[in-house]
Parts: sequence; C-alpha cells; structure tokens
Amino acid sequence: MTKRRMAAALAFLACGVLLALLPALQPPAFYETFLYLIFFWVALATSWNLISGYAGYFSFGHAAFFGSGVYTTATLTSKYAVPFLVTLPLAGLVAALLGCGIGLVVFRVRGVRGELFALLTLAITFVLATIVLNTPIDGGPGVFLAAVPVPAWLGSSHATLYLLSLIVALGSVATAFAVQSSRWGTGLFAIRDDEDVGEVLGVPTYRYKVLAFAVSCFIAGVVGGIYALFVTYVTVPDVFSIGLAVDAIMMAALGGTRSWIGPAIGAAIVSGLTQTLTGGQSAILNRALIGAVLIVVIVFLPDGVAGGLARWGRRPRSTLAAVTVTTASVPARQQQANGMPLLRCSEVRKAFRGLQALTGVTLEARAGEILGLIGPNGSGKSTLINVISGYYQADFGRITFDGQEITRVEGHRIAGLGLSRTYQIPRSCRRLTVLDNVALSAMFGVPALGREAARSEARSWLGFTGLAAKADALPAELNLHERKFLDLARALAAQPRLILMDEVLSGLTPAQMVGAVALVRKIRAQGTTVIFVEHIMSAVIDLADRIVVLAGGQVLAEGLPRDVMRDPAVIRAYLGRAYA
Amino acid sequence: MLDVARLEVAYGDAVAIHDASLVVSERELVTVVGPNGAGKTTLINALAGLLPTRAGTLRLDGVDLRSLPPHHFCRHGIALVPEGRRLFGAMTVEENLEMGCYAAAPRAHRVESLDRVYALFSILRERRRQAAGSLSGGQQQMVAIGRALMARPRLLLLDEPSLGLAPAVADHVFEVVAAIHADGVAVLLVEQNVAQALAIAARAYVLEQGRIVAEGVAADLAQDARIREAYLGRQ
Amino acid sequence: MPSPTLIGQALLAGLFTGGLYALLGLGLSLTWGLLRLINLVNFALAFLGAYLTYHIATAWRFDPFLTLAIVVPAFFVLGVVLQLGFLRFEIHELTSLIVTFGLTVILESLIQWIWTADFRRLETPYARSTLKLGTLFVGVTGLMGFVAAAALTLSTWAWLRWSYLGKAVRASAEDGAMAAAFGVDRRRVALLLSGLSAAYAAVAGLFIAMSHTLAPSQIYAWMGVVFAAVIIGRLGNALGLFTAAIFIAASEALTMAVTSPGWAPLVSFTLLIVVLLLRPEL
Repeated sequence: MTKRRMAAALAFLACGVLLALLPALQPPAFYETFLYLIFFWVALATSWNLISGYAGYFSFGHAAFFGSGVYTTATLTSKYAVPFLVTLPLAGLVAALLGCGIGLVVFRVRGVRGELFALLTLAITFVLATIVLNTPIDGGPGVFLAAVPVPAWLGSSHATLYLLSLIVALGSVATAFAVQSSRWGTGLFAIRDDEDVGEVLGVPTYRYKVLAFAVSCFIAGVVGGIYALFVTYVTVPDVFSIGLAVDAIMMAALGGTRSWIGPAIGAAIVSGLTQTLTGGQSAILNRALIGAVLIVVIVFLPDGVAGGLARWGRRPRSTLAAVTVTTASVPARQQQANGMPLLRCSEVRKAFRGLQALTGVTLEARAGEILGLIGPNGSGKSTLINVISGYYQADFGRITFDGQEITRVEGHRIAGLGLSRTYQIPRSCRRLTVLDNVALSAMFGVPALGREAARSEARSWLGFTGLAAKADALPAELNLHERKFLDLARALAAQPRLILMDEVLSGLTPAQMVGAVALVRKIRAQGTTVIFVEHIMSAVIDLADRIVVLAGGQVLAEGLPRDVMRDPAVIRAYLGRAYA
Repeated sequence: MLDVARLEVAYGDAVAIHDASLVVSERELVTVVGPNGAGKTTLINALAGLLPTRAGTLRLDGVDLRSLPPHHFCRHGIALVPEGRRLFGAMTVEENLEMGCYAAAPRAHRVESLDRVYALFSILRERRRQAAGSLSGGQQQMVAIGRALMARPRLLLLDEPSLGLAPAVADHVFEVVAAIHADGVAVLLVEQNVAQALAIAARAYVLEQGRIVAEGVAADLAQDARIREAYLGRQ
Repeated sequence: MPSPTLIGQALLAGLFTGGLYALLGLGLSLTWGLLRLINLVNFALAFLGAYLTYHIATAWRFDPFLTLAIVVPAFFVLGVVLQLGFLRFEIHELTSLIVTFGLTVILESLIQWIWTADFRRLETPYARSTLKLGTLFVGVTGLMGFVAAAALTLSTWAWLRWSYLGKAVRASAEDGAMAAAFGVDRRRVALLLSGLSAAYAAVAGLFIAMSHTLAPSQIYAWMGVVFAAVIIGRLGNALGLFTAAIFIAASEALTMAVTSPGWAPLVSFTLLIVVLLLRPEL
C-alpha cells in the first residue's frame, strides 16, 4: 500500500471515529439530525453510483429499493415484532433480491441501455408503490412505528440511528472504493465506456452488472430500514418518491460519478445546503436551485467536482516527440511457426437484409505467417473480420481456430481462445487511462490476471508499441496514430495466438507507416500470427507473406504477393475488364 | 464551373484529403478514380457540403461554397448521389423523389421533373408508393439518381453508383449517367471501377491516399502506368 | 360482474382520460421520435399552462378557451428557446432526460412559488354540463378533451404525412445530412418541432385545468402513464400514440371499475415494462 493510500485510510478512520463520538457529547438534537441526513444521502448517492455512475446504467428507480427496505423493516417490526437491528440486514437483502431479480431479466435484453433502462427503473418504482399501497403491507394509511423499541447506544435511540447511519455511510464509501480498485470496477468502467468492446475483451458484463445492481440495492435497502425508525411513520408517497432518485442522481453527478468519493462530496454539499436553507419560501427556492445545479453540472461538469480535482492533481504528462518502437522485452509465445493452418474458413456466408456480403469464403491462415487480406470496396473484408471474431454470426459455413469450431461462438469466448482484433476506427474506453485500457484485456483475457499483474503486463506492451510515456494519459489526448497503436497494444495484451488487424495503417503518414510495418513484423516475431486488412498496396506487398484477394464476397486469388498482383483476374477485379 | 483548389479535409487530427485541386467545366463529365480508402467519398462529400473543409477554396461559378451552411449548397445547382444511396428508407419512392426538389427553385417544376424521372426509370413509376428501403439495390440506385435529378442540378455528384450492383445493373447505371450528361448536366463521377468510368468521362483525376497523383484526358490516362500503380502497388 | 352501464361509463371515462394522455404525450412523442430528445419538461409545461389557464380564467374572468390565444403562442416561443439551448450545448438523448428533469424541478418550484401548494380548481360552466347518451352521462369537458386530442393527433399525423414540411421533418429524422443536402434546414426543423411540442403542452394544460384539481406534485403523476403510451404507440407516430393512450386509459378505467381504483397505475406501468423488454428498439 502506498503512503498516500495509508494516509487516506487513516484519515478516513479518524473521521469515522470522531463522528461516532459526537452523540456522547450530548449536542442539541439538530446536529445529530443534520449529520444523520448527510450520512443518509451519502449512502444513497454512493450506492446509486455503483450501478449508474460506474457502469453507466442510469437508474431512476433507486426509490423502489429504498422503499422496499423501509417497508421490510416497517412490516417486520410492527407486525412480527422482529427486533429492529435484525431487520436491517433483512431489509438490505429484500432490496438486493429485488434488484437481482430485475437485473437478471433486464440486463439480458441487449437493447436496454441508456434512457430505456432509466424508464424501466422509473416504472418499477411506480409498480412497487402501487403494490405496497394496495396490499396489507401498507394499505393506504401508512405504518406507525413509534412503538417499536430501538436499542439505545451512547445514551439514546436517536444516537443509535445516527450511529447506524454513520456506519452505513462509511460502509458504502468503503465499498465504492473497494469496487473501484478491483477488477470488477475496471470491468464496470469498461461497460460504461464501450460495453461491446468490453464484452469482446472478455469482461463478464452480465454478471458484473447484476452484482453491481444487487449491491447498490442492498445498501439502499439498509438505508431504508434505518429511515423507517427515524421518521417512525412511513407512507407510500413519501417513501416511493421520484424526488429521491433525482436528488441522489444530482448529488452523484455533482460530486463526480467516476469517483468513489464523488457522490459523498455531492451529498454532503447538497444536503448541507438544503438543511441550512429551510423554511417557507427558501425551501421552494432550494428545490429550484437543486434543479439548476443538476443542469449546470450535467452540461458543464460531466465529471463533477471530484473529476475536476482529479484532473487538476494529475501528474503532467511528458510529451513524446515521435512514437518510437523500442526493444522492450515482452513474453515470447511458445508457438511454433510451423506453417500448419491455424485458422480455417470454409464456405462462409453472411448476408445482411438482402445484401450478400460473403458468398462462400474459403481460406486458411498458417501459424506464424503474416497474411494480407485485400480486395475492392464492398468485397467483404471487414465483414469477414467481424464474422471470424464473433461480432457477427455466419449464416453458413465453418470456421475453425486451431482445430476448434468457432463458427457461431460468442465474441468474448472467441477472444478467450486466443484470437484478438483491432478496429478500423479505434475503440478505446474513453475514460480509462491508456494503461488501464491495455490492462483491461490482460485482466479479462486468458489467463486472467489480477489488477496489479495486468497493469505491469500492460506496461510492457505499451513499451513494445512505443506508448510507454503516455501510460497515464486519456485516449482523447492521443493522436490517431497513437490511438491505433493503443488498440494494437490492447489486442496484444490478451496474448493472442492470432491477431486480426483492420486497416491499422490507414491515415498514417509515410514516416509513421514505416514504424507501423516494423511493429507488425515484431508482433509476428514474438509468435503471433497476423491477418491484416489493408488498402495501401505497397505496404501489403512489402509486409505480407501471402495475400488473399476477396471480391464479391468470395476469394478470388491467393498466393505470394507478386504472383497475386499479376493475376489477370485480380487486375480485372480492381481496374475493370479493359485492363486484364 | 466548379473550381476546387488546394482543398484539405480532415477528421479530427487525421487528414483525409491533402491539397486537392480539380476543375469541372460546364457540361463536362469528369471522373475521379482511385483505390479503396483513397478518400474519394470524403472528397465528394466535402464538395456536396456534407463535410467541413479545413483549408483551400471551393467555388461554383465564382460563389465561395465554403462559407455556406450545408443546406444552401443545393441552391447553387449541386445535387449528390451519395455512396450507399442513403435513401430515406421509411418513406415511399415518390416521397424520396419529392424530397429531391424540396428547395424552392426546383419545387416549382415538381410535376415536370417527376415525369422526366419516371420516363427515365419506368419501374419506379410502378413502385412509387412502396417504401424505398424495400427495393433492390439497383432500384434504390435509380431512386437515388432520380432524387438528385429532381433538384434540376447543373452539377451532379455521383459517388460510386455501381457499388454493390450486379454487372448488368451497373452497366445500366453507367448508361443512365451518360444519358444525363448528354442532356447537358455537368457530372463529377467518383468511381472505383476504372474501366467504365474512363470510358464515359472526358477527363479524369487519380486519387491515392488523399492526394491527386495524376490527371488528364480520360483516354490518355487509361494507358497510364500510374493508375495501375495506384491500385495494384508498385511492381 | 358490474353492470353494462358501469362498464360503459368506465369506458367513456377511459376515452376522455386517454384523450388527455394523448395531448400530454404528443409533444414528447414528436421530439423523441424526430429529434432524439427526451423532453420531460413537457409535463411541467402542461401544468404551467394549466395554472396559467386557471389564473387567467379566474382573475380576468375569461372563458378558458380564450386563454389559449395567449398561452399557446407564448409556449411556442418557450419551446423554441429551449431547443436553442439544446442546440447550443449539444445536448442529446440521456443528457436531455436529466437536463429536462432539472428543468421540471425548476418549473415545479416556480409554480409552487406563484400559486402555492394549495389545491386549485378551475370552475367553469362546462364542468357541470353533461350530455346523456342512453343510460350514460357524458361529461362535456371530457368530450371536448377527447375531440381536441383526436383533432390534434390526426392533423399532426396528416401534416407529417402529406405536407412538404412534414416530409422534410421525417427525412431529417432519418438522415439529417442527406436532408440538408437537399435543402432542409435542420436547425429550423428542430426549433419548429420544439415550439410545436410546447404548444401542444399548452393545449393539454387547458384541458387538465378544466377537468382536474391542480397541485404542483401532480406533475409527476402523469409521467409514467404518458411514457407508456408514447413508447407503445411508437415514437413519432401521432396516431399510434392516440390509440395507445386510449387503450391504456380504457384498461385502467376498466380495472378501476372491476377491482379497486388503487390498482390502476399497475396496468400502464406493467405494460410499459413489458413493451420495453420485448421491443427495446424504439
């Protein structure tokens, strides 16, 4: 643990202890209530952030899970005389199970992202509210809890609730920190930035989302349980209110949704302000102010207060004049370049709504070779890459990788078998650093590495591609050339046996191209077979051991570069009949 | 008529077109050929106003087009048949054609223009109430060309009209383009299919990796080794 | 088994409420479908319109319908200004949802500040008049709302379908760049749609004021149900919205008649959830 981390943890603990001792000082009730509410919102905003800020699935239904916690405690204590403290973990559990159940269904549906998820969770709040309102759980008049005994810690039951709320707040912030520092957290961030890419890299997106949702709901449920006894009278409209979800969103957004401490900062600021500006007209003004703050934050400060602080505190990046390919040591693959077929496509067909993109492609890539895939526009090259890597499923035909059938296997499983790809337009996770982008594929590749091990592996790959100096930069700060190399480094960090490169040279200056070609040769030298799609003929002839020409969705010719480019059929395909 | 000088088009930090200069005169059929990825679509989209340009001049009959917002380009007689057709798939064939003459000047001649387009492409008259997205590739190409004709352009920009079409259909498209040209419309044709493009064009430019590497009379250029090199690499 | 009269009355109530849902959802459906902007503030605007109608009609003793002459154009301008803001700050999709939520909260506070949280009820001569259709009583305000909804949705649909500008709007929604290449000014289209959307909200507000008691918190009560209608009716489809709204409202009304009123919200929200899960591609 670094010194900074130690210091932070100690400070955290110290704050916690100090705050915990407050009730013993017998302050006026106002202070306990003031702080209780701040802890309340810290816990709610932080728990909301686990699924919404980290994974990007903005939930408008936090009130549903909070409410289910409230009513679990209310029902258990008032109807079944279960001791209050016992009901708290149960409240969390009920909320978590609810969240889990919903997540299991909803996250399966591929199209439910963004605003659809927001609406869905909004609808769940109303459904739950209606059910609670119309069944004996509440029935209408609300539930009175004044008679429920609450143990007295440090002198009063009020102090108990205060302490419980403090514990939950600290616990939620600690949870957020733990999640963010873990593989799970990196995976969630990847989901937020580019879920499809994450999926292909091996991130178990479904599992991670459901878990994050469940933990988020658990905390909300426990907060609800405590709240029930704090107000001692709960009603459906008060508990299942949209305002609660909105306030939590706004606090997290204000503080910074990509940070573990952000929501807590936002909650402290807003709750503090709200409670100081109370009474009559001020309350209304305050509501309007909250709305205004939300707008300003979302538009101007997408990363919130914490994001701003983080950017200010980051070490200044050293500028690298040119991206040089260094001779950094990377693990050499144990693969024999024995020329045996590694990838085989047999009669592969793919059509899109009437357009026949691939009409029967048969080719093979041999272990240890650099295979160039060329063809006129519309010949199906990118489609073929997408089908091989599992982004699309072939309609017909067989694809085998090292003897294993991968024809209709899912993208992330193909990636797990040792097949990586780059994208024509580089797709990096915008808000992960360059280092973490590369570490992502080492973390979720095969074999899956822990966070620190993945990061050091990532560093060596960044050295290999010449990006070592930019490890802590964000992808937006790189130029096109560097982003392509980042894509490459990420693909390589998964230790693939075969890498599919989609137009990695396009857009580069001739000087940059020299470096890129050298890099591709290095990649092959350390044991990875390469298939690359390219238009720039001079580079293809230079680099490729063999060439396959696609035209009209099938293989037109294949063989040694010079032979293929002299083949009359190939010339005809490119230039037209008059030339052949 | 169309005067392009030292045009530069970039996507963020990636420069796609460097220093491109070309000219199209009244009633001329000029073609720009080049391999996949050379930047042909980028160039033609910039000429049609779909992409912003970073440097250079773009004039049509002396009017500086670079200073205009995208929706004013068509007022000066430019119409685009884009790569991949880009029809309004959910709208009917006739509605697509009608969108072609949305601007005030051509709209006045809507009925007349529609008749002309249907005369040129009789099959469209049959399918006028069908959703454009449900037509075959070749028919969609006809709708795209028809839509551009409805704008009564003086300069027609065509981006790879034969792409994805069966050879016979592609041949028909080239015939149509030649016929439109014969009617007096200037044409700038961007094509990957060199032979057919050079066969109907008067002059040609060769685009490779964002730069114009050759230009001249089409017939002469057909024999030029530089075309071969651009497509097939240096031998 | 409830009597046919009860069922009939419930269905009528459903029709009229459905009309209101359609009026509330029309603007939302158009901007979401054609501009890809989720304009939550529509609801708050409708309520603002309702309060304004109440105020003008009560304070100056106008006939409520006359208030439209003031409120509709004012709201059109408001909608245009809002869209200018969206364009200036390049706000789309999810961000627009959150920003408009913020605006809703601000508007709600404004309403509460001016008119307080007390319940307000617009008293009009229309409210008490009913027609008799066999054994059924038809409330005049409800009927007018229904007719207005039908008229607005039908004319909107027709406008989009047959007018040149309507076609331009649809083309712009499908491929904005190509529409611009043929002369469609996307900016103007966006401003127009936004203004229209707000104007529709004004009309919705009028009928809400005439048939419901007003309270600022009520703004949120309609959200779920109207969203359900908008999504089920498919975005940008005015007639679809109308049909879905009637269907949902009728189901709610029947549920209320057959079981207890408290269960009504369950119908629309469950429908919404089901549709969102089965057809997530909007």
